[in-house]
Parts: sequence; C-alpha cells; structure tokens
Amino acid sequence: MQGRNGLPVCVKNMSDNGKEKEQVTLTIDGKEISVDKGTTVLDAATLMGIHIPTFCWHPKLDSIGACRMCLVDVEKFPKPAVACATEAMPGMIVRTDTDEIVKARRGVLEFMLLNHPLDCPTCDKGGECDLQDNVFHYGIDKSRQAFTRRRVIDDQTTDAFDDKRIGPEIIRNMNRCVTCYKCIRFNKEIAGEYDLGAYERGNHTVIDAAPGEQIDNFYSGNVVEICPVGALTNTDWRYKIRNWKAKQTLSLCSHDADGQNIMLWHDQRQLWRATSRRNDDIDDGWICNIARYGYQYINSPDRLKTPLIKKEGKQVPASWDEAISLISKRFKEIKDSKGSVCLAGLIGGNQSVETAYLFNKFFRNKLHTNNLDYRLEYIDLKGSDETEAYNCLYRAPFTIADLEQADVVFVFGSNFIKDHPAINLRLRKAYRKFGTKVYTANPVETKSADISLDEMIYSPDTETAFIAGLIHAIIDNKYYKNIDETKAAEVKTMLAPATLDEAARLCGIEQERIVNLAKVLSEANNPYILAGDYFVASAKRHRTANGMYDLANLLGIKDSNAIILASQANSMGADRVGVRPRLTENLKKTLIDKWGEELPESPGSNTSQILNNSLDEEIDGLFILGANPAMRYPDGPFVNSALDKLDFLVVADLFETATSAKADVVLPLAGWAEQSGAYVNVEGRYQKFEKAQDADKGIKSGIEIIHSIARAMDLSLNLDNAALMHETKDIVDAFEREARDEAKFFEVKQAQIPEHDNYPYRLLVGNDIHHFGYVTEHCPSLMRFTPEPYLEISPNLAEKLGIDEETLVRIESTTGKLVLKARFSEYFEGDVLFIPNNFSATEVTGLVSREGGGWVKIEKLDDK
Amino acid sequence: MEQVFLKYIDDPNQHKIDTYIEHGGYQAIQKVFKEYQPTEVIDTVKASGVRGRGGAGFPAGLKWSFVPQNTGKPIYLACNGDESEPGTCKDRVIMENNPHLIIEGIMICCYAINAHHAFIYIRGEFAHPAARVEAAINEAYAKGYLGKNIFGTGFDLDIIVHTGGGAYICGEETSLLSSIEGSRGNARIRPPFPAVEGLYKCPTVINNVETLSSLPSIFNNGVEWYRSHGTEKSPGTKIFSLSGNVNKPGNYEVDLGTPLSYVINDLGGGIQNGHKLKAIIPGGSSTPLLMPDQIDTPLDYEAVAEAGSMLGSGAIIVIDERSCMVWVLMKLINFYAHESCGRCTPCREGTAWLKQLINRIENGDGQPGDIELILDVCDNIMGRTICPLGDAAVMPVRSFIQHFRDEFEYHIEHKKCKVETDYPFV
Ligand SMILES: Cc1cc2nc3c(=O)[nH]c(=O)nc-3n(C[C@H](O)[C@H](O)[C@H](O)COP(=O)(O)O)c2cc1C
Ligand code: SF4
Ligand code: FES
Repeated sequence: MQGRNGLPVCVKNMSDNGKEKEQVTLTIDGKEISVDKGTTVLDAATLMGIHIPTFCWHPKLDSIGACRMCLVDVEKFPKPAVACATEAMPGMIVRTDTDEIVKARRGVLEFMLLNHPLDCPTCDKGGECDLQDNVFHYGIDKSRQAFTRRRVIDDQTTDAFDDKRIGPEIIRNMNRCVTCYKCIRFNKEIAGEYDLGAYERGNHTVIDAAPGEQIDNFYSGNVVEICPVGALTNTDWRYKIRNWKAKQTLSLCSHDADGQNIMLWHDQRQLWRATSRRNDDIDDGWICNIARYGYQYINSPDRLKTPLIKKEGKQVPASWDEAISLISKRFKEIKDSKGSVCLAGLIGGNQSVETAYLFNKFFRNKLHTNNLDYRLEYIDLKGSDETEAYNCLYRAPFTIADLEQADVVFVFGSNFIKDHPAINLRLRKAYRKFGTKVYTANPVETKSADISLDEMIYSPDTETAFIAGLIHAIIDNKYYKNIDETKAAEVKTMLAPATLDEAARLCGIEQERIVNLAKVLSEANNPYILAGDYFVASAKRHRTANGMYDLANLLGIKDSNAIILASQANSMGADRVGVRPRLTENLKKTLIDKWGEELPESPGSNTSQILNNSLDEEIDGLFILGANPAMRYPDGPFVNSALDKLDFLVVADLFETATSAKADVVLPLAGWAEQSGAYVNVEGRYQKFEKAQDADKGIKSGIEIIHSIARAMDLSLNLDNAALMHETKDIVDAFEREARDEAKFFEVKQAQIPEHDNYPYRLLVGNDIHHFGYVTEHCPSLMRFTPEPYLEISPNLAEKLGIDEETLVRIESTTGKLVLKARFSEYFEGDVLFIPNNFSATEVTGLVSREGGGWVKIEKLDDK
Repeated sequence: MEQVFLKYIDDPNQHKIDTYIEHGGYQAIQKVFKEYQPTEVIDTVKASGVRGRGGAGFPAGLKWSFVPQNTGKPIYLACNGDESEPGTCKDRVIMENNPHLIIEGIMICCYAINAHHAFIYIRGEFAHPAARVEAAINEAYAKGYLGKNIFGTGFDLDIIVHTGGGAYICGEETSLLSSIEGSRGNARIRPPFPAVEGLYKCPTVINNVETLSSLPSIFNNGVEWYRSHGTEKSPGTKIFSLSGNVNKPGNYEVDLGTPLSYVINDLGGGIQNGHKLKAIIPGGSSTPLLMPDQIDTPLDYEAVAEAGSMLGSGAIIVIDERSCMVWVLMKLINFYAHESCGRCTPCREGTAWLKQLINRIENGDGQPGDIELILDVCDNIMGRTICPLGDAAVMPVRSFIQHFRDEFEYHIEHKKCKVETDYPFV
C-alpha cells in the first residue's frame, strides 16, 4: 500500500485494539462505502480514493481539528465539519466538492499563506511540503495580502532566514509554521516529552523549546519529519540535496533489535538522510534518533579502506590478495598442527543474517569447529552455552504490536527507551490508549517511571532474589494457577532466599509491593513480562531466567508473553541460523540436511569461553567479524591479554577499533547500507534491507570476505548470493523453538553477592541514550547530542560528595581507573553511577569485572 | 421587581456566611438533600426552564441530563467565572457580593449530577472577587458545609478555585477545561462534548456563575414562582450590565422579557446629555447591533434573536451619535484578534487580518475594495472555526458594516470620520 506521501507503508488497523468492529455505511460524493464503526470521514474518503487535504491530521495522533483544511459538507449539519475528527455515521451524506467547501479550503490556504515567507527555493521541505501540495491542488493564484508579512525574530534567531536552533539537531523557522501543533502533539502524546511547547497567543503563537530546554529527546527527529512545512528542519539534511534528486532505498535500523523500518535517501556518493517507513507491526512510523541519524557512520571519513597486516609489530597497508593468502595460510597451519578446536569466530549482532549464516557454515562445515558466537555479554556458565530456561524465554514468539492488548506489563531489568525504542513507544501507546498497567523493576530509575504504577529499584545484583520473592508472594498467597498445593510447596523449597521476607530485605523492596505485583499479575487476563538489557548484562542472568520461567508457569502466562529481549539488529537472526556453540536438535537436523554432512563433535565455546581459552592458549586463531570485544566485553584488561595471547587474530571492521589494534590482519568491512540482506528482529521477524550505495573499492562485504578466505583455503562454500539468500531464509523459517514446558520448574537461587568493601558505588555500563554499540561515535548528528563520555551521577550522591556538574571525577575500581566529567542524571536517585561504553577514547570496561559487575569509588579532582 | 442575585447588594456583609444564612441562605440545599433524589433535582431544574447565562442560553437541566452516570469515572462541575466578554460584569458582582449563593448553587448541581469535585474558574484579573469566593469557601468548610459528609448526608464535596492567566478564550468551555488541566488555554473540538468527556477525560458540566446562582431560588420558592418571572421560554430574572453612553451605567437585575428601553431609559437614566441614540450592542460585544427603532425589544432569548441579535451574556453597550462606528469596530476587532487562542487557522489568521484591514481604514489608509475584502474574510471565518470565538469576532464586523457602511466608505474616501464629534475617545 502507498502512504499519503506516496511512499510504500505497511498499515494495519490497530485502532480497534484487535477486536472485530461493527460496520457503518455512509455516502461520500455520491458513492457508498461501509467502514468499521469509529472510522473518520477522512479515512473513509481515503479508502475510496477521494483525497481530502489536511495539515494537522496525523494517522497516529489524536485529531485536534485545528487547521480546518479538511472541512467537508455533511447533510443536516449546521456548518462544515472537519473530516479528520468526524466519525462516520450510518446514513451520513458527505460532500467534499461543494462550492462552499472549495471556498472554505481556499480561505484556509489564503490564511496560511498570508504570513508564509514563500521562501520555497531555499526551503528543505520544498517538494515534499503539504503547503505547496495543498496550494497547488486547492489554492488560489492571486494574493490579497497587502501588509508586510509577519516575521518571528528573537535574540536567538541567527541568520537572514530567521532560523533558530532549538535542539542539537533541530532548526526552527517560525515564519514557515502553519501551527498544526503536530510537533508538540507527537512529543507529548507519543514520546511523553514536554521540551517543546506553544507560546504566546493568536497569530503570535510560536513553537519553541520550553524555557531553558533544548529539543534533545530521543525521538525528537520525528518532529522534523511530521512538520508539514519547513518550519522544523534538521542539521543532518539541511541544504544538502533537494529531496527529489535523492534516491530512496528500503532499509532497516542497523543498531537495536526492534527492527525499525527506515528509508535511506542517497545518491551515488553518499547517504543523505533516513526517514521512517511506517510499519504498524513494529514502529507505527516513529523512529528513534539512532535509527534516524545512526546511518551516518557509513559515510565517515574514518572508514578503513585498505587491509592492514602486522609486520614487525606494526600494522601496515597491504593488498587484499596478500591479506587473504596470509589468513588462509595461518588458519591452515593452525588447523593442521593443532586441530580445528583451536580456531574460533566471533561475529557482531548487526551483520546481516546471510553473513551470519555463511559465517556459521564456514566455521562448522568447512573449518569443523563449534567455537563461534555473536553474543558479547559475559556468560557465566562453565561447560554450557546457556540454560534451557534462558533459551526458551529468549526465543519466545513475542509480537510487538500485541502489547496493545496487554492489560499488565511487567518490565524487568530494562531501560526500554534505550534498549528497545519501538517497544518503548508501543508500551506508552498501550498505556495511553488502552489503559495497560505498567510495572517496572530495575537497578536504577528510568524514564519509564512516568507510566509505571510502581517503579521498584532493587539493590545491585539481587535480581534473582527479587524474582524469588515474587514467586514466594505468589505461592504464599495462592495466586498460582495450573498447579496444586503440593507442587507449590515443592517449588517453594527450590527458592533462595527461602522466604519472601528475606528476599524482600535482600533486594531492598518492601514486601507489600512485591505482593501487590504478584497479585496484579495473577489477576491480569493478558499479562506480559519483558526482560531487557540490565537483565541480559547481569552476571547471573541464567539464575534469574529460571525464576522468570517458573513465574510464567505459575501464573499461566502465555508462551509469547514472557520474553528476554534480544539486543542487536540481528541477534535473533544469528541465533536462528546457529551462530553459537550449541544448537537445538531441530536446528542440527536442518543444518545436517542442508549440508549433507555431520556437524563437528567438539563441544564448542561461547564468547566467554573463547576468550578464556585464548588466554589459556587453547585457542590460537580467531576471526572477529564486525565486533569489538575489547571495547564492549566486561573486564578490559582480561580481554586485552586474551587477544594478545592469540597466535593469529583477524578482524574485519568498518573502523580501526580497540580490537583491530590487536589484529595480525585487519580487513575493511562494508556496512549494512552497502549490501542487501535481512535482519531478524527481536520478534523473530525476518525483514529485508536493500543496498543503497556501493562501498569504496578497497572495502568488501562480510560475505565476500568469508568466500575469499574459504576459496583461498580450497574450501569452497559453493553458494552464490541468491542461493545464500534462499538457504538462509529456509533455515530461519525452519527454526523451531522448544516451547515452555508448563509443568517444569527450575531452581531459583540467588548467588552470593560479591564483596566490594572499599568500592561503595555500583557502576553500570551501557549505551548512552544517543549511542549504540561502537560505531555511532562516527555519526556527527548523534555526537551533537552526546559528544563525549561522562559519569552520570544522581544529584543526591553528587551533593553528598561535593561534586558539581561538569567537574572532573576520578573513578576507580579494583581493575582500573578513569577520569571523566560528572553529569547529573535526570532519573537516578540512589548511589548508582553510569558510564556509556560507546566511546573508543575511554576504556570503561576496565572498571568492570566479569562476575561482579562494576563497583567503584569516586573522588572529585581538585579544580586546577 | 423581585431580585435573586442582587437582593442584598446594599448589605456590606452579604458575602459573609452568617449574613447569608440570616437571609435564608443554605436552606435550599438542605431541602434538596432531604426531599429530593438527584434525578428529581434535574427534573425540577428542567421544569424551571432556567437557561445558561454564559451566553448561549442552553437549558441547564437538559445539559445535566447528558452526563452519563455509569462510566466508573468521577464527574466534575466547572463553574465558569471567567467573565471576559467586553461589557460584561454581572458574575463579578455575584462573586463579590454574594459568593455563598454560588456555593449553594454548586452544591445543588453537584448533588444532582453526582459530582464530588467542583472547580470555580475565575478570570485572572478578578483578584478581589476571587479572594471573596475563596474566603466564602473557607467559611463553608469551617461550618462543615463543604468537605466530607455534608449536613450528615454522606455526600462529599470539595470546591477548588482556579484563577486564569488573563485570556478571554478560557471562558470558552473547552479552553477552560484545558486551562484547569494545566495546559495552554486552547479550544478543543466537540464531540466529545464535555458532558461525556471533559475535564481529565471525565464527564463534566460547565455552568456560568449566574446560572448556578439561580438554583437556590428555584428550590426555595418553587418552580412556579421561578416561572412567574420572565417569559414562557426565558423564565427567571437576569442581570444586565449596562454601559456606554448612558447616564447611569451599572448592573441591573430584571425579569427576562423586560423591554430594552426600560433598562436604558428608566434604570439607566437615558442617553448621556440627551444625545441621540445611534446603536445598541444588546448582549456583549460579539452580538450584532440593534438600531434605535428596536429599543422596545423585550430582553429575552427569543425576542432579541428575532430582532437579529443575541441576548448573549446580557451586556448592553449603548452607543450614541458622537461615536464613529469605524473606531468602535476597530476597538472590538483589536480585542478579538488579541484574544484568539491560535489553535485554528481561520480565527488565528483571519482575526489578525481583519484587525489590520479595519485599522488601516480607521487610520486613513483604507483602499477601495477593503469593505468587500473584509466581508469576504468574514465569510472565511464564520462557521469555520473550532470554537465560537471566530464567529464572535465576525458578527460585529458584519453588523457594523451592514448598518453603517456609509461611515466605512466615507473613511476610505476621505481618510477621516464621517461623524463630527467632540466625543473624547474618537
Ligand atoms: C469565546 C468565548 C468566551 C466565553 N466566555 C465565557 C465567560 O466568560 N463566561 C461564561 O460563563 N461563559 C463563557 N462562554 C460560554 C461558555 O463556553 C459556556 O457555554 C458557558 O460557560 C456554559 O454555561 P451556561 O450554560 O451556564 O451558560 C464563552 C464562550 C465563548 C465561545
Ligand atoms: S513547527 Fe511544523 S509541526 Fe510544529 S506546529 Fe509548526 S508547522 Fe506544525
Ligand atoms: S486536518 Fe482536519 S482540521 Fe486539520
């Protein structure tokens, strides 16, 4: 289907919250149509192909009937009605083409043009401007304006065009504004942000940042996209290219796991911007700033463009042939002398699913090793890849849009706005439109607090105790379903701490609140439990996952409704095609079928084990494709020494990184926009993206790299791109998860909480809100939001320690030291600190141990 | 004539609760609690025929009956004391002199519609009336007339005073609700009507101060008594705020249906210095003019409408021969352009344009064709806006040009007033 702006969109009518609707029949311009009850006259007309012009209407915002552009004549109504907010009624007779309506539209357009600067030649919106289009179709050709046009200028408007910067990326030109309020409505209704407002009155109304504020919220780019005119533009795209000269290519956000749909606008030379490509199943047409500006790394001048080979301890440029034959030679040597088990591979979670599959095939089927992984979190399991409970929840058949039908959602260990931008907005929508009740339990306060009925903050490292407490509450109060008392009593003995009271004390949350959550969840008809990045990054996550599994079983929560959310654009894809040491029986079978060969028998190592084994010299050759463990995996010193110990390290990446610095061979890697492929998002949804531009001649895609190494080793993979695409899709489709066994219960035992005597403050490490992974520091727009690393601290703690904002602070743990500027958190209240791990200049992971997380002491540096 | 609102206007203590009680106050509500079911209150108010005094004259009882009682949401009452229509100052006098009458009226209404929270929205400039109302509410709380378990009936009621920030638009009911919610005072589209989805998306009744103040008298004296005042379709008494070129401007409470001439000549002492009457704005600045030959029009909703205007808020502005109608209209349009909330295009841009055009005529820069342009702009505003402010701005423009087109033409042609005058303001 085509959207109103002519772009293809995937539209699903979710306004009815999933239920079948009564039909009403009405007549528009002499033709009858039947529509769902609740449909507006505007939507009904659009369905019939009758165009009604609009400005302030937006399919995903509440109608406010402000611009009056959509007036129509309704029989028996005393005056024209706004089509955008008039509900279709049985027998209604609507006309969109009477003389009165034609005059009304012309009147509105004349009013809008009265003070509009008509600076279309220098306006970025030209060519995709609702005002241009509406005047073109419905306007008058003669101006009756005899007065000087109104200009809005204040002491911050900067140049001849009366522009004013109101955010790191956003420029406002009030002269062009048609006062449709869409920007403000989006901000409030959808994002829950109040940094943008309307000030003054009448035709002096101005859209501006709230006093002392900037429009820097995480979804702020959307206001530029929905502005019907050029009143809001962004620095990203401004004055760079006329939009009709840019080509459009269907794409996806290459960062987080939600799979937001985007459109890339580009020419031969470079990508110019990304806009949303509405998909109601995922993003409703709203994209976060990372999806919007996070494409820019592709055109970074810092891209690697020639292979590097380490000679006498220094990496020097080399030809591709030289690099590939060296890799082939050394891999062969290791394989022949020490065996396949001494080779391993790590691939980043944002490589396409085809790349991930080929990587798997190369390692398993050609090199005969099971040492491969895509996960860069620490996994605290000896001799095992992951537990049954964890895997089961991680692969739950979750659907983002179904959240709208949730009556209760319990968010466990996630700062949604950072980890899952689309799920975050869907949750906000469920809350706002359908009254979904939200509860949260996190190690720190988050933005979601404003929609959370109870925001519980548990003490560091006690998530297992928390979930054990919740299970106690369910059993003690007989809230459980599907099991009898004997079984319940048995489950209770599998918990540590052994009572609710102890569990509550350990995690620092009052018993009543835990009991209340248990009660609310047990009374809900369609409850959800969603676990996110705090959960995934916690050292004992498998223990907590056991608890989550039990909890879902006790309450009879649907299989699709209890999920541990994947983190990266293709984490789920990599999982489905088997980029991990252990495979499900079903996947094994599929692969054996496809490859016509048995799989290697060695047990295989996950990321943690690969690094350990490298340190112990049990792994000698490692191929890292688009991943940066030296910057992202906890315990930097450990990772560095593990990589140093390797005999031979190959790193393929877009940039030189902390990891590539250790490599014997560095290969320049193509980015996602330089190739076609697919990602599998957090829901398990397979989505394609297309190639937008050619990579530089010196750069190769992951697929080409794997093929060339295989060829050089005489191990042909025998798959052209089309066949690879097909085979990958087959594997993804054939994936079958083992469903949750409702009769099964696991032990839920809180682990010993690590000692950290002289290091009193918990340090959390993760993504800054405007960064993701290690490539976004190459995106100038995102750097404008957060240009440098910082120490985020609660104002309370800062006051206690006499730390002012912007002052330098020394942070020290048992494993490392750092000096950073302090920044006060909008949300944190307690003794918790945060440092983003998106900046190559700071080795944050040096402060964090693998098993114990980050515990630090901090001290203000003397201001010298 | 018998009076309801201004009966004790000369008693300097009427705003105090004891005096109010001495004069028979808080009897009606006790009677209502004792003798009436909520639906009976609504029926009685319907039978009384009392109509909204905020301008539109909508039957109060009927409005209340639209409130759904089964939504599970709280129900609110908002008492409209924003009184900003130029010329109108009738609510002010009730708030200052007789605030307990309003409180008692609010209590009756809340009982009828099952509301436990009422808001009184008072315009920002009304510091003194707001203080009087606030003090009266405190007195009522102290006596146990407000709060929990009023008069031992188990009925709870809280009244909250909310003062405005100086915007005319906040008198318009949906803007008023936005303002109470803490948002910008912007009009909202209807439906949903406030009775179904108003304050905080809950069912809400909005009534004018004078409307609510009428209620105690209906229950004290009975429907028949109430209907013995006024006309069949416009029963009761009403305060008219008389201003302009009259000898004795002021607030006068009379039965609806009283002839306009009685108010202007008998109560208001006639036109200043025996000047000739030129035109009358009968119901607040937005209502179309009545001409001198219409001076006997009865002041009730139907008769004034028949005469081509509206009873509106009951603010009668008298204009005599000394005034230039271009100047008067300029004053009016400047007000409406200034007060447009900025929400919808025709009102936001249209009133500002009308202001520019009319000002240029007044300033001697008028161009041939300006009158036609003004009328066409009026057509593009009238009936095209979210709330009636746009219409309110257009109605006087049309009416002034209709009746005094010669003065506008003269202004354009001669770049000065047609009226030769010593009137100090022109
Ligand atoms: C622009 C505008 C201004 C208004 N100002 C007032 C006002 O100041 N006071 C008032 O009671 N009603 C005012 N109204 C009318 C209200 O919208 C509403 O109809 C009234 O308060 C309802 O009360 P009633 O039914 O008791 O008259 C105004 C309406 C408009 C369109
Ligand atoms: S800035 Fe754009 S989106 Fe916002 S009110 Fe103006 S025209 Fe509408
Ligand atoms: S689109 Fe309907 S009023 Fe603006």
